[in-house]
Amino acid sequence: MNRREFLRYQAKGVLWMIAGGSGILLPKRLIAAPVPDIAVVKGAPAAATRAAVDLLGGMKQFVKPGDRVVIKPNMSFPTPPERASNTHPEVVRELVIMCKEAGASKILVLDHTLARKELCLERSGIRKACNPISKKMVFALNDDRFFKATDIPEGKSMTSTDIMKEVLKSNVLIAAPVAKSHSATGVSLSMKGMMGLNYDRRVMHGKYDLHTSIVDLCTILKADLTVIDGTRVLSTNGPGGPGKVLKRDTVIASTDMVAADAYAVYIFEWYGKRFKPRQVRHIREAHKRGLGRMDVENLNVKTIDL
Amino acid sequence: MITFWRTIQIISLILFLTLLALAVSSVITPTPLDLFLLLDPALMAFTVISARIFSVAFIPALLVLIVTLFFGRIFCGYICPMGTTLDGTDKLFAASRKKQPEAGKLRLLKYIILFFLLGASILGVSFVFVAAPLSLITRFYGLLVHPVLAFLSNEILSFIHPLAEWLDMDTVIFMQIATPRFATQLFILAFFGALFVSAIVSPRFWCRNFCPSGALMAFFSKKPLIRRGVSDDCTDCGRCTNSCPMSAIMTEDPRVTLHEECIVCRTCENTCPENAILFDRVRKEQVFEKKRFSFTRRQFIYSGLFGAATATVGLTGLNSLYGKPGPGQVAPQGLIRPPGALPEMDFLAQCSRCGECMAACPTNTLQPIWLDAGFMGLFSPGLNLRRSYCSPECRMCGEVCPTDAIRSLSKNERIWAKIGTAVIFRRKCLAWEQQKSCMVCDEVCPYKAVEFRKEPGIPVPVPQVHEEKCAGCGYCEHFCPVQNQSAIVITPMGALRMSEGSYIAQGKSQGLNLSINPKFEYGSKPEGKDWGKGFAPGFED
Repeated sequence: MNRREFLRYQAKGVLWMIAGGSGILLPKRLIAAPVPDIAVVKGAPAAATRAAVDLLGGMKQFVKPGDRVVIKPNMSFPTPPERASNTHPEVVRELVIMCKEAGASKILVLDHTLARKELCLERSGIRKACNPISKKMVFALNDDRFFKATDIPEGKSMTSTDIMKEVLKSNVLIAAPVAKSHSATGVSLSMKGMMGLNYDRRVMHGKYDLHTSIVDLCTILKADLTVIDGTRVLSTNGPGGPGKVLKRDTVIASTDMVAADAYAVYIFEWYGKRFKPRQVRHIREAHKRGLGRMDVENLNVKTIDL
Repeated sequence: MITFWRTIQIISLILFLTLLALAVSSVITPTPLDLFLLLDPALMAFTVISARIFSVAFIPALLVLIVTLFFGRIFCGYICPMGTTLDGTDKLFAASRKKQPEAGKLRLLKYIILFFLLGASILGVSFVFVAAPLSLITRFYGLLVHPVLAFLSNEILSFIHPLAEWLDMDTVIFMQIATPRFATQLFILAFFGALFVSAIVSPRFWCRNFCPSGALMAFFSKKPLIRRGVSDDCTDCGRCTNSCPMSAIMTEDPRVTLHEECIVCRTCENTCPENAILFDRVRKEQVFEKKRFSFTRRQFIYSGLFGAATATVGLTGLNSLYGKPGPGQVAPQGLIRPPGALPEMDFLAQCSRCGECMAACPTNTLQPIWLDAGFMGLFSPGLNLRRSYCSPECRMCGEVCPTDAIRSLSKNERIWAKIGTAVIFRRKCLAWEQQKSCMVCDEVCPYKAVEFRKEPGIPVPVPQVHEEKCAGCGYCEHFCPVQNQSAIVITPMGALRMSEGSYIAQGKSQGLNLSINPKFEYGSKPEGKDWGKGFAPGFED
């Protein structure tokens, strides 16, 4: 061992000590039980939803007392839960309950529907499920006065759009999509679902590239928590269906929209085949642009069966 | 002082507006929402003649005529929302009236209109929409007042939004009021503007001089059982003559009443300082010696012939569909009629253009058209599917139609009442022409008539219409993201226009397969046949 090697050895030791020592200063749970990047729970809709969020540290990690929360499910189609075009009402309700437990001051379940709003709210079953908690919670906000022009600083093609004011006012955004296929974008999950929170979606198809503008939109509508309802998966003919519905009793939760979407692409069958997340262009683009990670094989996935 | 007359008038108007508001809110009640339209004698009489139909729907108007025999034109005085509206706006212009209105010759015009309509309707052409009071007033409130009020309410909602947020009033914050937009507003505005201003000449200028329903009822109230009588206490002071809104009391002798003009408002009774006027069974009556302004037989015939001639011109128009359907008939190219609309000629004969269907249309796709269907089709309802879609689960237009020009359909029949077929303009389509990911038409189609397919040389899925599954609801046309004209357009092609029988039976016999709730698979096995067409749209290799 010469002097140079000795110094290098010493330096390594110092670095290790710093690394080890810093652990004492960091929050305890990081060392005790690492929070998974993706939580996957198999079970009944409500129970699986709660367990998946708990695996990420519980709703209190995301919702602080007094927070305003917006939950964005899929409820844009006038179809019942078994068609899997809309998020399961029990998944939505459980999220609402958990937000309430965490002390949220206001919880809104919002979408901008395609079909007549009353029919969508009624048939999806979401309004009925949430009514016992509050009758003023589930809204389809379709009028333009509910939207406000908003810049997208990181937008590559779409640099501004009208976003729902209630979302801009909220502290916490929870994406709660159903897992479904989509004839234009392959899948419609948390990222595609954000198109329910802006006003003019036509330009995203016509003026811009759909995939790129979805990623643009997600740079300003980055969900704090994503809970994908894979209790039923609309595996073909999405987003409206009717298509082949797979009963999968799975709920996926993550703080990373891209990772949650990527994992849903990865574990479910689409049109009878298996796909890699990179085969969905908006997921691939979001990964490249650093919005989140689609390399699910490198992520810490925690799966439990209830 | 609010008189009995005014009270009944106001209650009547409120009832009319309530029923209209219920129709606008898609609330179906046991009371027919079109009740007031059913009471309009001219509207119903000429619809019966032009469409050659008679159903129970026409009994209310018949009752109005019978009541007129006994009590005079109480419909005009107490019930007609047109009359009440004109009485209301009269206050604005009454001060500008220079001279006392007289029972002039102009009032014969209404008989000319009446016989004009009769002449046309005998040839099967309905022109009631130009003059039937309930048709006009329903359009006024439904297509002009209602959108303006809705617009203002929304502006107010926006204005008070910050306050509501500060007070955390969720009901106000999240309130959404549909703001319909309508074509032909300019006509309604100009027409009613003129009617309101005509109060400068006389009160109820319309009712005196133009109203064909008033004219029809006048024939039934030459000498009604209960009518105005004047006792010997009369001092010829002339106050009643001056107060009469219809100038139905002769200036020369206030004892003489033109009963056919009297709307039984009983203003004269209240004005008379001698209490000499009584509405009762009159036994002895002063009759005016001088010849009244009367309508001669020749004038009857000329008016009728004029109406018939106008109707004939209409029937010989390029867009007329008179005769059996066949080559050479120039049907309006882009005109989509509401679901359940009768075959075009019957439809035009039966539709009174009241606009009730348009006001009641929850998606605001139903619009009055101008001259798209020739002048015989003026103000009739057509769908503007770019404005909005026609919901397959909605049956409001058929429910509220007073003359059954749009059939009232059951839920299942409604789904099969095909109004047209979607056609894709590939050169405008984002997927076909620009190779962009879109498929909005497929996404929104409730009948699953638009489907994606893979096309050699195009990397994205492209839409294709399955005509046999398409009912023409227009979801695709409405939501198509292509600017201005949609790349997928509903054409009247294949519309089912039937005056009777089942749309389901007819549709099936033509090989249609219309369903808004097609079968779907629910299972846990990934194996199976129903995986589509061997490719997964939207995924990349």
